[in-house]
Amino acid sequence: MKAPWLRGFTFLYLLFLYSPILLLPIFAFNASKVVSFPLSGFTTDWFVEMWNDQNLRIAAKNSLIIALSVATLSTILGIFAARASVRYRFPGKAPIMGLIMLPLVLPEMIVAMSLLVVLLSIGVNLSLLTVIMGQVLICTPFAVAILTSAFQSLDRSLEEAAMDLGETQWSTFRLIILPLVMPGILASFLICFTISFDEFIIANFLGSGQPILSVYIFGQFRFPAKVPSMLALGTVLVCFSIILLGFAEYMRRRGIAKAGGKDTGGFL
Amino acid sequence: MTFSDDRPTMIEFKDVHKYYGDYHALRGINGTIKAGEFFSLLGPSGCGKTTLLRTIAGFEDISSGVIMIDGKDMAGVAANVRPTNMVFQSYAIFPHMSVAENVGFGLRKDPRSKEEKAKAVAEALEMVGLKGYGNRAAHALSGGQRQRVALARALILKPKVLLLDEPLSALDKKMREHMQVELIKLQRQVGITFILVTHDQEEALVMSDRIAVMFEGEIAQLADPETLYRRPNSKKVADFIGTMNFIPTTVLSESNGSVEIEAKGLGRATLDASMAPPAKGESPVVGLRPETLTLLYDDQKATERETDGVIDEVIYFGDMTYYDVYLGGTDVEVRLSMRNVPGRPVLEVGDKVRVAWSPSALVLFR
Repeated sequence: MKAPWLRGFTFLYLLFLYSPILLLPIFAFNASKVVSFPLSGFTTDWFVEMWNDQNLRIAAKNSLIIALSVATLSTILGIFAARASVRYRFPGKAPIMGLIMLPLVLPEMIVAMSLLVVLLSIGVNLSLLTVIMGQVLICTPFAVAILTSAFQSLDRSLEEAAMDLGETQWSTFRLIILPLVMPGILASFLICFTISFDEFIIANFLGSGQPILSVYIFGQFRFPAKVPSMLALGTVLVCFSIILLGFAEYMRRRGIAKAGGKDTGGFL
Repeated sequence: MTFSDDRPTMIEFKDVHKYYGDYHALRGINGTIKAGEFFSLLGPSGCGKTTLLRTIAGFEDISSGVIMIDGKDMAGVAANVRPTNMVFQSYAIFPHMSVAENVGFGLRKDPRSKEEKAKAVAEALEMVGLKGYGNRAAHALSGGQRQRVALARALILKPKVLLLDEPLSALDKKMREHMQVELIKLQRQVGITFILVTHDQEEALVMSDRIAVMFEGEIAQLADPETLYRRPNSKKVADFIGTMNFIPTTVLSESNGSVEIEAKGLGRATLDASMAPPAKGESPVVGLRPETLTLLYDDQKATERETDGVIDEVIYFGDMTYYDVYLGGTDVEVRLSMRNVPGRPVLEVGDKVRVAWSPSALVLFR
C-alpha cells in the first residue's frame, strides 16, 4: 500500500534541506543590499566586491592551508591506524582504537576549550598550526572509519602473493596495497578537507584572531552591507563543493571499475 | 618400489612444531618430499595442512624443528627469497593489473630486457592455455581463467617447489575434474615439485604421487595412493579415504608373518602381517572396501570365501548399485558395490543373498 503523505513528507524534507542553498545564488545576483523579496535586478557587483576584499583573500588562503594540511595529516594518520587495526593484533588494541574514534562523538566545544587551556598553560602561541593540530584531532576518526573499510575489503592473500613473488613489505605496500585502497584514501582526503574547511569552533578558539574563512564569514554577517558579498562567496563555495564531490565520485567509480568490484554506493 | 623412492629429497621436515598461543597446530611433523613429486597434504579442515604449507612458503614461522628446502635450512629465510611459489585458494590475482602484468609481476627485479620478459610472460600464458589473454583486465576473467593466471604467475619464476592451497575448491565439479588432469599434465611438463593441500580425498588419490594424511596437527600416514587405499595404517585413515566397512573381530593367534582372526559374520581368516598395521590399543576390527565384496548370483560360486546375508538397503547410482547387507544372521552390516551389467537384475530389500569375499582384502586395526 502506498502512503501519499510519505511522498509529501519526502518532498517537504528535501525542500527544507535545499531551498536555503538555492536562495544563495539568487540573492548573490540581486541588485540590492537588502536580502528580501521582491528581487530588484541583476548584478555581479557582489562578486566583484568579494574578489576585491583583501581580508577575505587572506582568510581564504589561510583556510586552504589549514584544510589541505588537515586533510593530508588526518589521512596519513588514518592510513596507519586503519592498517594497524585491520591487520595486526596488539595489546590494548580495542581501547586504543576506541580512544582514537572518540572525538567523533565528543562535543567539539569540549575539545576546543580543553586544548585552548592546555596550549596556553604550556605557553604555545596560537597560530594556524594550533588550528591544524586541533582539527586533525577531530578529522582523524573520519579518516580511520573510511580507511578501515577500504583496508578490510582487501584480500590478505594479495599481500602474501606479492611477497611470495619476491617483493618486500614496503614494495608490496607501494605496488599492491596503496593502489587498491587509493579510492578510500581519496575519499578520506576529501571528507577531511570539507570538515576542516567549514569547521568553526576550533578555528575560532585556537586561531588567535587570524582570519580563517568560517570565522571571517561569521564576523562579516554583523554588517548588513557585507551580507550580499558573503552570499556571493557562499555561491562560489557551493559550486566548488559540487565540483569537488563530482570529482570524488568520478574517481571512486573509476577505481571500482578498474578493480572490477561491485558498486556498493558512495556519497552520491 | 614407487616413483618417489629413487628421487633426491626436495623438502625435509624434522620434528616441526607450531603453536598459536596455547593452540598446538603442528605436533611434530617429520617426513620428506622428493624432487619432482606431486605431493598432497590431505586432511579435514583444521588438521594443520594449510599451516604446514604456509610454513614451507615462509608465511608462518615454526615454533621448533627444522624445515629444509633443497638442502638449506629455511629458519629466518623470508617468504620473498624462498625458492617456492604459491597458488592461493582465492588465487589472489591483482585486480588493478592486466593479465600480463599479473603474470610478469615476479619478474620486476629480473635483469632481463623488457622484450625478453614479455616473451617469458607470453610463454607462461601459453603453457596454461591462455595464449593471447595478456592485455585482458584481470578482474574480467572467469574462475578457471584466474586459476590459470595464478599458475602462470607462480611458474614463471621457475620455483623449486610450487605450493597449491586448495586451488580447485572454488571451481564447479566439471571444471575441477578438468583442472585436475591439466595440473597433472602441467606438473609432468615442468617437472617442478608440486605440493597440494586438499580436503578432498578423491582429488588427492587422483593427482598425487604420494599423500600425507593429516589429523590434528600430525601426519597419520604418508604413502602412495594405492598403499593408502589398500593398506591404511589406522582406522581413522581408512575411514577418511573412500568407504571402508569395519567388522568387529577377535584376534585368535599371531605368528611370524600372519595373524589368525575371527571376524563377526565372516568367520575365521588368516591375514598376512602386512595387512595388520601396528596396534593402537583399540578394540580390534577388520576393514574391507565395498568393491572387494561381491554378490553371488544363482549359478556363481565364490573363488575364495562366501557368507550368507540379507539386503537391508539398495542405493542405485546408474552404473553402480550399493547394497547394505547384514552378514550371516548377525547385526553386522557391510556396504558393497556391484556394477550394473546387462542381465543382472538390481536386487531388492529383504532378498537373501550370498556374499563372496577374500581374506587377502582384509585389513586388521586394533
